[in-house]
Amino acid sequence: MESTVCPVRHVPPSSYGRFRNACCATLRFQCRFSSTDSQKAAAQTAAIKSEWRRRRNVIFDNEKQRQQSEIGRIEKVAVKYLPWDKDEAPIEMRMNKHLSTPYDCTKHLTEDYTKTVCLALVDRRPWDLQKPFEQDCELELITMAHSNKSPVVNTAFWRSCSLLMGCMVEASFKDEIQVYLHSFPKPDLKSGSFTYDAVIDLPDWKPTQAELRAMSAAFVKLSNQESFMERLEVSEELALDMFQDNPFKNKQIPNIAQNHNGKIVLYRIGDFIDISQGPMVGSTGIIGKATIASVHKVESNETDRLYRFQGVALPKGTRLNHFAWSVLEKDARKFNDLASVTPVRESVTSAPTEVVSDEEKERSSAAN
Amino acid sequence: MNQAKILNLVAKLKHTNNIKPRKLKNYRGPEGRIAMLQKSLTALLKYERIELNFNRADETRAYAEIFMSQIAKQGSQNQKSIDMANFWILENQIIYKLFNVLVPRFSNDVSYTNLYHHPNVYPGILRPKAILELKNNSFPKVSSSIKNQSSVENILLKESHKRHFIDVITQ
Repeated sequence: MESTVCPVRHVPPSSYGRFRNACCATLRFQCRFSSTDSQKAAAQTAAIKSEWRRRRNVIFDNEKQRQQSEIGRIEKVAVKYLPWDKDEAPIEMRMNKHLSTPYDCTKHLTEDYTKTVCLALVDRRPWDLQKPFEQDCELELITMAHSNKSPVVNTAFWRSCSLLMGCMVEASFKDEIQVYLHSFPKPDLKSGSFTYDAVIDLPDWKPTQAELRAMSAAFVKLSNQESFMERLEVSEELALDMFQDNPFKNKQIPNIAQNHNGKIVLYRIGDFIDISQGPMVGSTGIIGKATIASVHKVESNETDRLYRFQGVALPKGTRLNHFAWSVLEKDARKFNDLASVTPVRESVTSAPTEVVSDEEKERSSAAN
Repeated sequence: MNQAKILNLVAKLKHTNNIKPRKLKNYRGPEGRIAMLQKSLTALLKYERIELNFNRADETRAYAEIFMSQIAKQGSQNQKSIDMANFWILENQIIYKLFNVLVPRFSNDVSYTNLYHHPNVYPGILRPKAILELKNNSFPKVSSSIKNQSSVENILLKESHKRHFIDVITQ
């Protein structure tokens, strides 16, 4: 019976379990007339989870407000916007110091800019769209089409995909399953997939094709919300306070703070908050086609239940032949050996047809 | 049948023309149609890039291709080609331009024109529009094909290609 229980939400019941009809009937019965202990416990963990999430958001909002109120008298900075087209004249803008962001500058240009710009270059340094200006500067705006001029935008895109995958992983498991987000390695486009490591309280989980599909759908749904990536720098103590419930993040925060002058950079998508150095793309609406390709169990000193989620995505508006896309998906299924961790076993996931064929091979070899 | 194939005797065009002639509606009938084509053919050779309704542009293109290829083949000294130029081109200085500038320019080319679909301006007359131009003109390009080698999909595919070859070699 245990193998028939699906840990992931929104998976169509037809795809797993021989006794699904019976199970569904009993579940419905239980819901209507009585709630078992396990259901009560699940509801309790769900309430705790949502409470932690809410708490984190309240702290984030308060800290943001506090930082804004600390600015005091508003000063002006001169931002010189340099268009990529050399024929166009540069535009001077008077923006607010510590308040205005490159995103505000895009609003003074055309609507296209607000939608398509992913990243800014402030004095030739990559700069988040939501990060306020600190001094007089030169501004350049990068879309995904400018990746040949500044490849940093590709890395930011890949990093944002990782972050959004963390959001998806946290939201897409059922209430009774404990999920702790661990971290994600440095993004590398050349590895073929973006990744996120998470600790999931399942001893030996192999996601089915339907579960992967459900997770991909959840990912696309999140990206379609087109929510901004809010950025906030906080102190180490505050970050520790926010991530009290997550023992793994709690361990990482002091190390990160040590390397970055005691500051932790937080990003928020909707109500999901995570730690990353950035930079990220402006909003999740940049992400177009996406697939969660595979989940591999990896070895770790901290825990024996660490899973690496892998996916592949393209920016919105990219047209790619379905065959080429299938090649990319196939590549993303292979274990992504970033940060030199080793998989517990090779190729956990593959298409169900392949699994069947393997079984058949074994059977046929046994028969021979 | 010892007859030679007629197709082999006629100069072959790289550009495929419509088999059916388009009806360029005109109150003067067939005569008016020819006048229209003369006018737009002259304009094409004069300005090298013109904007027309799609029907007329496509028809003009077919005439321009045949006209230019025959003149390029027969040369400027041929009486037949001079007659043809006198008939189709309405301005004398354009005939001069054709023989002295355009024919030498296109001596090695396979087709002489480009045709692009052109978006309608709204509000306005919503007829399909087109841009017809001679190749190798001095204007900026109508469509720019941006090839970004470092876009996300290109990098992913390139790396995938590399990995595939490593797999093949190690096997």
